[in-house]
Amino acid sequence: MTLLSLVLILLALLTFVGGQLILKRAMESTVVHGLRQSRFIALLGCGIFLMTISFFLTLGLLQRFDLSYLYPFQGLSVIIISVMAAVMLKEKLTLQLTIGALLITAGVVLVSLS
Amino acid sequence: MRDRPSGFANPWLQLALSVLCVFVSELLLKRGASDTANPAQAWSWTGVTGLASPLVWLGIIFVIISFISWLYVLRYIPLTIAFPLSRVVDILVPLGCWFFLGEAISTRRWCGIALVVIGLAVTAKPVARLEERL
Repeated sequence: MTLLSLVLILLALLTFVGGQLILKRAMESTVVHGLRQSRFIALLGCGIFLMTISFFLTLGLLQRFDLSYLYPFQGLSVIIISVMAAVMLKEKLTLQLTIGALLITAGVVLVSLS
Repeated sequence: MRDRPSGFANPWLQLALSVLCVFVSELLLKRGASDTANPAQAWSWTGVTGLASPLVWLGIIFVIISFISWLYVLRYIPLTIAFPLSRVVDILVPLGCWFFLGEAISTRRWCGIALVVIGLAVTAKPVARLEERL
């Protein structure tokens, strides 16, 4: 694995996590204000943009590496998103949810190593 | 929070639909990406060369369907619960390869799958309490 692939893997992960958080924000705003508002459109566009970058970076990585090799990094997204949702979206991250996220991450990593 | 819709609009059903579409799209995208793999090509690191494969386009359709139902899920379910649950796809893919393609699953992989299942159960437990509150 070259430095470039590591950077691309991390970039794909970061854009994915950022996109998810922004999309969650966008959809939350629709609960109160509905779909026809500029804030929702802006957030949705921003989220889709980030997810698109992540999608094509992942596609490029899939051309180089096995799906199983890229899996641990996808697994990491579980714990990263849980923590970021708690920090940035002020969602309640209980001990139970943390343990669940850690178990899923460990399981995904184990699946990809075998 | 507003009343949670039932039937097809039920967010938990939409979460399952989203996961299923991601599962199908991952297999399609991997096949399509492998078919078109040519690292020597310029711009190949961006992944756009994968668009030459019809399987990738079919995969994109499934990605879009899963994306729309996922947006709907986000409206009703906290990310700390919905996202870990959506990773059930990480065990569906190896199980799908085992079931449909006859690939072998090692002991270590079964252990990993078991860990994910336990993790999902632990994560899903607060859902019962969440449902009571709604």
